[in-house]
Amino acid sequence: MTPVRLIAAKECRALLQNQRGLVYLLAFSVLLSAFAILLISNRELSLLDNAQVVYMMTGTITAAGALIAVILGSDSYAGERERGTLIPLLAAPVTPGELLMGKAAGITTAWGVMYGLSLPYLWAVGSSGQNLLQAIFYLALFGSPVVLGFGYLSMALSAETGHVLTALLNSLLLLIFSASPLLIGPGLRNSAAGRFLDAINPFSGALNTYDAAIIDGNPFFAQLPRLALVLIWFGLAFAAARAASRRPRFM
Amino acid sequence: MFFRKIFTIAVLSITCVASAHAGTIKISLVPDKANSPRPAMGNFLRFHSIIKNISDKPVEGLVAWISLIEIDPGHEQPVDLEDWSAHKAITVARMNPGDALKTVWPMRLIQHGHYRVVICAADRIHHPIYTSPALEFHVSKKPMIQSRRILPVALSVPVLIIGLIFYRRRKSRRSRA
Repeated sequence: MTPVRLIAAKECRALLQNQRGLVYLLAFSVLLSAFAILLISNRELSLLDNAQVVYMMTGTITAAGALIAVILGSDSYAGERERGTLIPLLAAPVTPGELLMGKAAGITTAWGVMYGLSLPYLWAVGSSGQNLLQAIFYLALFGSPVVLGFGYLSMALSAETGHVLTALLNSLLLLIFSASPLLIGPGLRNSAAGRFLDAINPFSGALNTYDAAIIDGNPFFAQLPRLALVLIWFGLAFAAARAASRRPRFM
Repeated sequence: MFFRKIFTIAVLSITCVASAHAGTIKISLVPDKANSPRPAMGNFLRFHSIIKNISDKPVEGLVAWISLIEIDPGHEQPVDLEDWSAHKAITVARMNPGDALKTVWPMRLIQHGHYRVVICAADRIHHPIYTSPALEFHVSKKPMIQSRRILPVALSVPVLIIGLIFYRRRKSRRSRA
């Protein structure tokens, strides 16, 4: 087994067999369950159009996925350092690039599991089947780069700072700022500043695509500029993780 | 029955403007032109009323409100507008003779069925309650979120993960022992 696969398998085991990893998945599912139950318990929300509800659920899955990815990413290097396992890991015959790829594969697997867990929720809220397939497709295409980008960026901060808490807080701040379009309405985002933020914010790019594709049924080619935005975000975050992982802080 | 329906549709399509009580106040009520001809649950409707003082004396302390009545057979009842409308009443301190007050009454359709909407008004001095002509509309059902699909998923997924956590815990305890 190659070192990358070995590290990736260890990270996957940490998620699926370790109690802490399962608790993260439980938190993810509880978040989605709470939102789904809110949809049926609130009369105002229960009257929403199915496509609107599927859109809201897709946005929530992306935000919750990014949150878990940030937690896992913050723990990746700094957690090893705090548990005293980073130096043995760096002393092992593993290059920093292989270590990074293994850790990145772990976060990618975690997102894959969360994506799989979110499918029953999408099916449940999209009862009429209206634009459900679009939601599944666009969540994979746009949600994945956004979620993994946040995971890789927190990995970079984890390697750079060497402290889980510092990396986690900084990543969370950025995530809350990026995910603010989920909380503020389209009216506020329609200002010049709001439009500018929408143009550079990968989270907004994903949300606006969900809106355009799931609710309005816009064609795929109209989403290409936003796809470029989320892919650039993914590339930059990975480049940052790669740069920071070459010399992780282990003292 | 057929003629009754035709009559209702004709009345609605010809705008249904009419005066109510003769006397001090005259109220007209018309549906908005943009209202859906087949409104469904979750849609919005708007109604326009004009409250006019047709007497030669001022009216003091006028209050006007919107009322909705369900008229489905066996379910005839006044509707609590709690979820339907945030704009349930207006007040006017004084209306001089000839003054007219235009008001828009927006409404969100919460439940399917047959309904009748009416605007009522009363002032501080005169005893009668003034009413507009009643407008009828039908709210059709709409496919919505289904709780029978959501609840099993929302409850079973976390329960399955909790089960997995306990299973892993038990297994690791056994292997340690």
